[in-house]
Amino acid sequence: MNASRQREIELVTPEHTRQMMRRRRNGDSPIVRAVGLVKRFGDVVAVDGIELEIERGETFGLLGPNGAGKTSTMRMIACVSPVTEGTLSVDGLNVKSHSRAVRDRLGVVAQQDGLDPDLNVRENLIVHARYFGIRGETARRRADEMLEFFGLSGRATSAVDSLSGGLKRRLTIARAFLTYPELVILDEPTTGLDPQSRSRVWDRLADLKAAGVTIIMSTHYMEEASMLCDRLVIMDHGRILAQGVPDELVRDYAGPETAIVRPLPGYRAEVLGWLSERGHSFQDSGAVFSVTGSGGQRADLTELRHVTIFYRLSNLEDVFLNLTGRELRDE
Amino acid sequence: MAVAILHRRIDFRPRNVAGVWMRHYVAFRGGWLVESTAIVLEPMFILLAVGYGIGRFVSDIAPGLTYQEFVAPGIIAGNAMWHALFQCSWGAYQRMQTHRVYETMLTAPVNMSELAAGEIAFGATRSLMTTAAVLVTAAALGLLGSPWAILIVGVGVLIGLVFGGMGLVFASIAPSSHSLTLVFTMVGTPLFFFSGAFFPIASLPDWLEPVAWALPLTPAVHASRGLATGEFGLTHLYALLYLIGLALLLYPLATRLLRRRLIV
Repeated sequence: MNASRQREIELVTPEHTRQMMRRRRNGDSPIVRAVGLVKRFGDVVAVDGIELEIERGETFGLLGPNGAGKTSTMRMIACVSPVTEGTLSVDGLNVKSHSRAVRDRLGVVAQQDGLDPDLNVRENLIVHARYFGIRGETARRRADEMLEFFGLSGRATSAVDSLSGGLKRRLTIARAFLTYPELVILDEPTTGLDPQSRSRVWDRLADLKAAGVTIIMSTHYMEEASMLCDRLVIMDHGRILAQGVPDELVRDYAGPETAIVRPLPGYRAEVLGWLSERGHSFQDSGAVFSVTGSGGQRADLTELRHVTIFYRLSNLEDVFLNLTGRELRDE
Repeated sequence: MAVAILHRRIDFRPRNVAGVWMRHYVAFRGGWLVESTAIVLEPMFILLAVGYGIGRFVSDIAPGLTYQEFVAPGIIAGNAMWHALFQCSWGAYQRMQTHRVYETMLTAPVNMSELAAGEIAFGATRSLMTTAAVLVTAAALGLLGSPWAILIVGVGVLIGLVFGGMGLVFASIAPSSHSLTLVFTMVGTPLFFFSGAFFPIASLPDWLEPVAWALPLTPAVHASRGLATGEFGLTHLYALLYLIGLALLLYPLATRLLRRRLIV
């Protein structure tokens, strides 16, 4: 198992690294820098003046409820959506004036796969490679490498529409990595996948991350974000609410442990009142309250009556809910 | 110096036009057997049914021409129109809206002007293929009076460029795939039947005649017929210039409208 993984990584790395080195402009500067970045659609403000600095080689996460501005941000970085205000540069190149040069360096996985149903699996890759100047035998060899790496070799001549959702997603990710990108943008790469497919995608992303490719991804899965992301931002209403290393965010915004407080029948209102009165930071999930805090809440909660309490380690989901609240978002 | 400035300003990669064209070619190759029925058989059915079926009852349509000889260049031109129109309106809309293939191309270093050029170029390629196929058949049936008829292939390409551009304009403004039906019911069909392909424009009511001449398929039919009979004059040259003008107008328009729709 280990040996085969090793071989697969090598399959990706040397040429990829060479290609990246060849194009690299300013080795030390952040690969993405956004200053006062705004995106408006008419009166709707999708991104409301955010600042971002994403370092080379890191895996950077964008978290937030639907409509938070994650996709708009990524689409601006991918040069498919014009910047309304502010400046945005990729690899030192302004996306407005050097859109083409930026796109030369990118691999993009959009929310919709954008696979071509008139082409088979392998043709989808070969045709795409051509837009990056990779043609002929080189393109065919590269496509086959990617198919093998993503476990799609057996389906090379299948119709795209005959693939399951998980396989389609893998093909889309393969297409993004096909062209030796320096930066890969993945918009919810695992949404809608079953746990097996999802963990398969995580495996591959971890390999590619190890190969030194910079990755920007959005996700709704906190487990995914904590596992893959070196750093992340939590966004809502077009603004960045918090940013940092996942573990530190958990420590700062949810504390080491979270108390799950379940009121006994008939005592819900009383418990709710008590928690508010004592100034605890908590989430109301209906049946239970999740009480987060810097660790001091345990002593205080022993005074609470008519409840059952258990403790678990805090996680990114607690941070997320603490920052963005529980109300449902449309869109 | 001037060249350098021009070079800087016009950022156009012909290699990407070839890339987009290649995408269509690979897709076409995948379904070649079905496609060839549209390219070869369908126009032949029309040619046989109209030319020989109806043609038996038609005499003196034009001086010195049988009805079969009269309709053959018209059917070739009309068919070239259908292929480019379909490829670049309905086909393009599916790629753009339903399958998000355009978005994929635009995340790659492909610009809209190249994408549109590749689309139209393949529309013209389809027109070329069907023109060549029907031309060979018509020649075999002895319906072409002049060796100049070989040049109808070039007219076919021009028709493809015009109607490819037009199809793309429709695709870029269509609010839904359903509304694209109008391209066929309100554009394709009337053009096909009122272009002079099946009867001389001169037989239309006087007030309709100039309208028919302005419709873009009419000059194409006129030029094709001029080449088929070998009686190519100044009017045929004007017809070709009109088509070239339309093609040059529609391509940048399509590019602009696609940008407006997709770059938001």
